[in-house]
Amino acid sequence: MDIRQEYLNAAYPQGEKKNLGGNIRAAFANPIAQIALVGVVLALVQFLALGGAISSAFAYALGNTLIYAIVAIGFCLLLGYSGLASLGTAGFIGLGSYVAFYLIEGMGAPYFVALLVTLAVSIAIGVIVGFISLRIEGIYLAIMTLALAEIIRSLLMVLKATIKINIKNIVLFGVNVNEKAVYLLIAATFVILMMLTSNLIRSPVGRAMLAMKDSTSASQAMGISLMKYRLLAFVISTIYAAMGGLLYMMYVRNMTTATSTLLTLSTSLNILGAVIIGGAKSLWGTTFGTFIIYGLQSMFLSKIQFFVDNPAFITMITGLLIIVVVMFFPGGFAQMLSSLRGWLRRKRVERRIRDYVDIQN
Amino acid sequence: MCVTALAAFAVTIIFRTSTTANFAQGAISAYGCYVVADLLNKRGIPVYLGVFAGVLVGIAIGVFIDLLVFRKGRHVNELGKQIITMGFVSLFFGGIPLVFGTPERIPFEAFYNTVKAGTSPNFVIPAFGGEIVITKHAVICLGITVVVLAVLFLLLKHSKWGLGVRATASSEFTAELMGIDTHVITAISWALACALGVLAAVMYAGGGTSISAAFMTTIQVNAFLACILGGFSTFYGPVIGAVLIPLAASCVGFLANFKGFYGISRWQMVIVYVLLLIAILIKPEGLFGKKTLKKV
Amino acid sequence: MSISRTERRLLEKARRLRNEIGMLEAERDLQLEKAEAKLASARAERARLAGREWADKNFGSLGADEIRRAVTEKRLREENDRYAALRKEILLSGYLLNDKDNEALSSAHTARLERIRERTSAELSELPEPAPGERSAPPEAEEAAAPAAGAIWEKYEKKIEKVRGRLREVERRLASGAASAERIELDEGLVLSVRELKMYFGGVKAVDGLSFDVREGEIFGLIGPNGAGKTTVFNCITQFYKPTGGTLLFRGRENEVLDLTREKVHDVILHGIVRTFQNVEVVPELTVLENLLIAGHRQYSSGIAASALHLPKLRREEEIIRSKAEKVLQFMGLSAFSGAYAFGLPYGILKKIEIARTLMCAPRLIILDEPAAGLNDAETAELAALIRRIREEYRCTILLVEHDMGLVMDVCDRICAISFGKLLAFGTPEQIQSDPSVQQAYLGVEEGESDGTA
Repeated sequence: MDIRQEYLNAAYPQGEKKNLGGNIRAAFANPIAQIALVGVVLALVQFLALGGAISSAFAYALGNTLIYAIVAIGFCLLLGYSGLASLGTAGFIGLGSYVAFYLIEGMGAPYFVALLVTLAVSIAIGVIVGFISLRIEGIYLAIMTLALAEIIRSLLMVLKATIKINIKNIVLFGVNVNEKAVYLLIAATFVILMMLTSNLIRSPVGRAMLAMKDSTSASQAMGISLMKYRLLAFVISTIYAAMGGLLYMMYVRNMTTATSTLLTLSTSLNILGAVIIGGAKSLWGTTFGTFIIYGLQSMFLSKIQFFVDNPAFITMITGLLIIVVVMFFPGGFAQMLSSLRGWLRRKRVERRIRDYVDIQN
Repeated sequence: MCVTALAAFAVTIIFRTSTTANFAQGAISAYGCYVVADLLNKRGIPVYLGVFAGVLVGIAIGVFIDLLVFRKGRHVNELGKQIITMGFVSLFFGGIPLVFGTPERIPFEAFYNTVKAGTSPNFVIPAFGGEIVITKHAVICLGITVVVLAVLFLLLKHSKWGLGVRATASSEFTAELMGIDTHVITAISWALACALGVLAAVMYAGGGTSISAAFMTTIQVNAFLACILGGFSTFYGPVIGAVLIPLAASCVGFLANFKGFYGISRWQMVIVYVLLLIAILIKPEGLFGKKTLKKV
Repeated sequence: MSISRTERRLLEKARRLRNEIGMLEAERDLQLEKAEAKLASARAERARLAGREWADKNFGSLGADEIRRAVTEKRLREENDRYAALRKEILLSGYLLNDKDNEALSSAHTARLERIRERTSAELSELPEPAPGERSAPPEAEEAAAPAAGAIWEKYEKKIEKVRGRLREVERRLASGAASAERIELDEGLVLSVRELKMYFGGVKAVDGLSFDVREGEIFGLIGPNGAGKTTVFNCITQFYKPTGGTLLFRGRENEVLDLTREKVHDVILHGIVRTFQNVEVVPELTVLENLLIAGHRQYSSGIAASALHLPKLRREEEIIRSKAEKVLQFMGLSAFSGAYAFGLPYGILKKIEIARTLMCAPRLIILDEPAAGLNDAETAELAALIRRIREEYRCTILLVEHDMGLVMDVCDRICAISFGKLLAFGTPEQIQSDPSVQQAYLGVEEGESDGTA
């Protein structure tokens, strides 16, 4: 370098300047931006399906999986951040479904009304379960929520044997919509809820929940009301589950209450499994876990004949996956990913050390 | 009812010795039952041998899960163990159709050969001006259940093994310090629980239900509910709970005989579950449970 | 003995207004700091450009020595930076360096520095001599301009004054209402009064009729053998247990007298009563900084909606509380650990975090639960100094529950010794040391005998 320039830079050093590349990378590190990007991709899938580039069955399955992802995210907040166990998820989904049926098919209400009523009902139920959780803990609470789910399921079986919604009855923004539009609604709901949850996690609310989970005494000493945050955790997860049910009913539009597995313990356990194998505190991990449990079969393996003939095989693989992940990666896929990143980072450091020590360099 | 009682006991013993709620109870029981059905129907093995074989399979599965999965896994905590049992549910639900083909109605008349023998499958007792009809099957099951549970409770109370179980259930850590081989205890608990599960499943199926991979699910759910009704702190609590729930259901069903309650049989289970909820809220540790006070 | 409902509401309002004032003041200070920093950096930049321009013009007349020196220094500095960055990366990535590699790395560093020196002096050995003649004077340093503190100060003062006005109004109403309401008596200068405290667990009398007073601003010690009931006492004070009997009076921020038993356990912190835990209860899943942020949880007025939508109000409050937390970390000497997860940190650091948490809310009474447990002599001495520093800096009262006699005698103004839930002795350290019943309870000395030592 020119001595003159070097002297000038030496005697009058410039402060740090951020280059454009760094700025763009920082923008994408923002979780909200990432979620928005995913939302765009999801919407794109539907348009590609309309155009024929992607099979519409794939798009349909994607929508279905997203519904479960919505439920799973709410459960993630409950389990991973508040440390509360609930096996009632299936029941809350059922609630949403029935509200959807009753209002949309029975009373011809538009989507927004159904949404509001679903919110109201889930808040009420969530509050009830929250209060129960103050009195009962651990496995007792979990089985209580199971009892609640069974009550809801029995109720639904009694009330209506088969739930059907006519697509013509679904009204969105005053317009009668078709199935594709419902898909977009599902994707939009997923994106919005992901953003809201992501914000909550990084806010004082999320911190309060973690504190409550790790130490009830310390959190109380610091002014965190157990009642408030337990109620909040249950209300949120119930809302998400009920919304999942609402969207499910609008998407699938057909359900036989007595035999549907959606309302049984299996679903609650599957959601729990999805959260755990994805990583209990990671939203993206949970989404990934949901895709493994619900999406793998319907979206990716549906073309392979072997799996079509033997759907039970996939169930087995799912079970195996759950066992292996919990045995060796308690933090789920999220932990696996961060372990991998850590390992890569250390490999990089090793290389840098080697380069540094080689003085000729 | 007996079926639920056995299942409830099985769940309790696993829960108390290895602090895990075994969600795979139903699935394992179903698997064992399939084995028995296979042996009975396709290979014509006599009943007692077939059931015994099924029970052995159950024991093997139980031991496998405890020793090879729980102990070998890296830092598996309580919640982790429960999730693993869930994984086994999927494993069995998927595995059963693969191993045994699509589920079908398995005729279990091979049990009693009553049709062939021409005898009635029921006992008929004239009483209260009418008749009480009890199936022979129900009597046999009741008998088996009472004997099995009686033996188990006696063992629990008086045998060395029973002492070990009770100590481990109280505190695994302390029990280990006292020299009890808790690994053996938990393995036996799992073996016992799975064996009981298979037995329960066989009894249930023998009553005329068609079996499928998930046919024990309702029993399992009821078993769990019985456990919290009775409270996990004791071994007899859940068994009593398992008796109370169907009892309550029958009582509610009985009301159907009265005017104004005609439609109630449809709402039977709903009412029973609601009553259960209320009972637990009143006594959160279960009817026979003990309260623990936490020290700050 | 009760505070009327209106009075309660007024107190609550006063508390909220005080909190708002506190937040506004903190925000104002933050903005002032930022403005000053901005000015300083702008000034520095201008100086830099001016200097650079001058140096450029007068390059020919600069001394060769100066040029050599500056360039060498820069290259050395760059190399040191590179080395430091590598070391930091090694630390952060968790890469384990064995001794051999460590050695190799250090010696490589030294060798590289040496090589730079050699090369640079070789490169610059032949520099043109400075051109003769006048060279213009280097630019003068700018005068430090007074920051535009005025505008910021005014803006915030206006807001603060408005809130202060409302607070004064509330205080006036409180004072006027006081005359008519039933007054609970708490002497001037006392911050806490424990009277006939009873805590029975079924048949067990953990605390049985204990009374003592804590003066404002003192360091008060509570000692007793194991099982004496010390922990129970302050669990009652902090409302983790509801006392079976007795009275607990506390002087609140508005100088009002509070009956502590009517407070919920999670509201106790609002009055400035904070505590540490003997089994360190730091939240392992959060970073050290986040642990302090939760300690400031009640100072946020943003609710759930603001959190979910990440509204500007929340962002502002986060910034303020964050800067508070950083200041506390600085005070405790924990700044280096700010971003580290609390999981797996050394025990001594965790204990410091516990104490740091108590400082987040402008404490009035800090209860320390066996803070010296697990510390060696040197660390205990450090702790004593810290306790005194906290009392001085935060002007609060400290209640120390402790086993370590050395620490207690050293740092406490007054001590209360209890045994089996009852008062044993009460007084200054010297009085306690020479009290025969204390000696008997602790050392088992027979009554009538004294071995003269504590």
